[in-house]
Amino acid sequence: MDILFTALGNLVTPMALLTLLLGTLAGMAIGSLPGLSSTMGVALCIPITFSMPPDLALILLGAVYVSSVYGGSITAILLRTPGTDASIATALDGYPLAMAGRGGEAIGMATLASLFGGLFSVIVLITIAPPLSTVALAFGPQEYTVLAIFGLVTIVGVASDQPIKGVLSAAIGLILASVGLDAFTGAQRFTFGQRELFDGVPLLPVLIGLFSVSQAFNLCVPKSAGVLSSKRPQLQGRNLPLWSDMKRCLRTLLRSSVIGSVVGILPGAGTSIASFISYNEARRHSNTPEKFGKGELEGVAASESANNAVTGGTLIPTLTLGIPGNAVTAVFIGGLTIHGLIPGPSLFTQHAETTYTLILSLLLANILFAILGLWLCRYLVIVTKVPGAVLGPMILVFSVIGTYALRNEIFDVWLVIAFGVVGYFMERWRYPAAPLVIALILGPILEVNFRRSMQISHWDLTTFFTRPLSLTLCVLVVLALAYPLWNQWRRRNAQQ
Amino acid sequence: MKANIKFKQKLILSAMTAILVGGLSTLAVAKDFPNKPIQLIVAFGAGGSTDTMARIFAKYAEEELGQRVVVVNRPGAGGELGWVHLANAAPDGYTLGLINSPVVEVYPFTREGSVGYSLDDIRPLANIITDPGVLAVAANSPYQTLESFVTAVQENPRSVVVSHEGIGGDDHLAALNFAKEADIDLNFVSYSGNAEATAALLGGHITAFQGNMSEVVNQINEGKVRGLAVWSNERIDAISQVPTGKEQGYDVLAAASRGFAVPAGVSQPVYDKLLSVTREVVENPEFLAEMAQLNMPVNPIYGQDYVDFIHESHDRLKALWDQEPWIEQ
Repeated sequence: MDILFTALGNLVTPMALLTLLLGTLAGMAIGSLPGLSSTMGVALCIPITFSMPPDLALILLGAVYVSSVYGGSITAILLRTPGTDASIATALDGYPLAMAGRGGEAIGMATLASLFGGLFSVIVLITIAPPLSTVALAFGPQEYTVLAIFGLVTIVGVASDQPIKGVLSAAIGLILASVGLDAFTGAQRFTFGQRELFDGVPLLPVLIGLFSVSQAFNLCVPKSAGVLSSKRPQLQGRNLPLWSDMKRCLRTLLRSSVIGSVVGILPGAGTSIASFISYNEARRHSNTPEKFGKGELEGVAASESANNAVTGGTLIPTLTLGIPGNAVTAVFIGGLTIHGLIPGPSLFTQHAETTYTLILSLLLANILFAILGLWLCRYLVIVTKVPGAVLGPMILVFSVIGTYALRNEIFDVWLVIAFGVVGYFMERWRYPAAPLVIALILGPILEVNFRRSMQISHWDLTTFFTRPLSLTLCVLVVLALAYPLWNQWRRRNAQQ
Repeated sequence: MKANIKFKQKLILSAMTAILVGGLSTLAVAKDFPNKPIQLIVAFGAGGSTDTMARIFAKYAEEELGQRVVVVNRPGAGGELGWVHLANAAPDGYTLGLINSPVVEVYPFTREGSVGYSLDDIRPLANIITDPGVLAVAANSPYQTLESFVTAVQENPRSVVVSHEGIGGDDHLAALNFAKEADIDLNFVSYSGNAEATAALLGGHITAFQGNMSEVVNQINEGKVRGLAVWSNERIDAISQVPTGKEQGYDVLAAASRGFAVPAGVSQPVYDKLLSVTREVVENPEFLAEMAQLNMPVNPIYGQDYVDFIHESHDRLKALWDQEPWIEQ
């Protein structure tokens, strides 16, 4: 306990608070720009931290990390342009809310949900990090395989309005996911000799193309031809969700925070799996699942609390085992070692003061971005009043620059524009884009882990059902698939 | 006769002028160099170990050069995208790149036909880091030595699973080399990074882990992981308890090396200037201290020695490949 107070003392200095503020603002900006990922934001801050004392360096990295995950939600809601894959599920309900004039409320909910998830996971990190880190080790390839399938189940919910078109979209995503060098044999698959495709179809150009660029085209075309621009979002309503809405979402917030924290601990999973699963679980437990995807605050709450709960989760194996929970925390490890802090148990004993300073700074950064977000959201919603002819080209420019910045490859710029065109027509012909992206994200995780399982078990398919953890996950998948059917059947019976 | 002498004098004079002017101008190039920022291509993403080394190096090189050194990440195709850019860059010394051995020298034959550069397009400048390969098992594993591990594989080849971090990468090549030396068949599982592979090892999902010293040094010293062998000539100070392969009768040498290279056409004075700057940085105790902190073993090989190092490694691996290719064709 003493150590927490010492750490708090480190934080409440003018320099530390200024660093925290700058880091939070920078993170929010990075998260909201398409193409600038949390990983890139943290990596770019590392050289700046070289000359800083370790506590300040960690405060900066921590603040950029948590606020960049939140930052993506703002543009996802107002413009339907998720800055990163973590916010795709947020856009599903956030944008329809903004269209209905409830953008401020949606941002308010996203902010409070992010705060809730963020705080939850940091508290988990402080209290039960060491025992929880064993979860990271318990997950083998078999568990990851089933977890990826669990994530894919979300597609059923997302595409429930357009089942056939949704399945088609997901199938295309899975085919795209198979492009690239085979991880096990090194053989080329559908690369057409194109070096840029050896690592697979890069996710962010596809994501930015399908969501941001297609939206930019949408905003630019004349109203008669546009799908969405005929209906400009209205500005009205509140900046904070109703207390009754908050109370209604409490269960979802808690459930999503638990899912986010646990998925965050797993090095092979990723933020988007957490937000997809949480979104689907929220929909499944809802009394009005049909409202999801059309502007349901609970959907925003599920996605945002989950993706911010991941931040604390990823730090659990990073700090306790020295195994980074994702790409961002891998960069963190570099930042820690440069300052002589070796990730592992010694962080909580020898360097406890600095470690707790980092953890507390995450806590403060969460509170700070929430205050900034709630204060800024009344101004940010004005963005939706900007004419499409101005907004469209701006989104396009940011998307192209952001995509190029990913790996300085002009090929990716063509890719983002091509997927922008594809996304535009998918929207016009009512093919949901989310299943494609979900399949593209989860496809490689599923394939690689399935093949690892097979390699380890020598093609024994029962391996998925003989391991207790894997079996539990299988049961959860079956429940997630069967529950909506059972629910429908029950309701039909009740009506008769 | 007189005219002839005069002509000869003139000839000598003009020749001398030419040499002098020519010499001065190349000298001027080298003296003037660099007069604008230098670009340092990293063929891997921001935040990785190659990138971290590049950014720290850039910080010190800027002091020596008096110009900005800008790190440009061009990740993709396991490094190939970045090296294609390096090979095709203007040979004026304003573009440098980091090359990762042994990967950089195997693509020209493992990706023959599609590869976008040739080793002749790139002139290695200096090696900085040599990170030896390590074969490791979890601390609670029954295998104490390489010998007991080999025996287990021979008795029950199906029960042993070894991870590497990417097919055709240095870990995979190291493990293949060991399997050949020990005359065993290993069941390989590919992991996309050190984090996932370490978690799988500690969780008991795989038997052994083939990686690099810098990736497992902390886990080894904390007693969570046991190094069965380090594939270097001598034991490594940071993990002195881990015996070499040679000590245990398996003559396997494998490492991941990272160094600098320039496009092949760079003029000798500029090459020499860059080489001397690199030497200054590598001999700077502060740079060495930062590398030590990151567990990156510095192993400088300068100029022609480094060129020979890369080409010898190429020839050795090419011979192996011709015998038995490790990637499906």
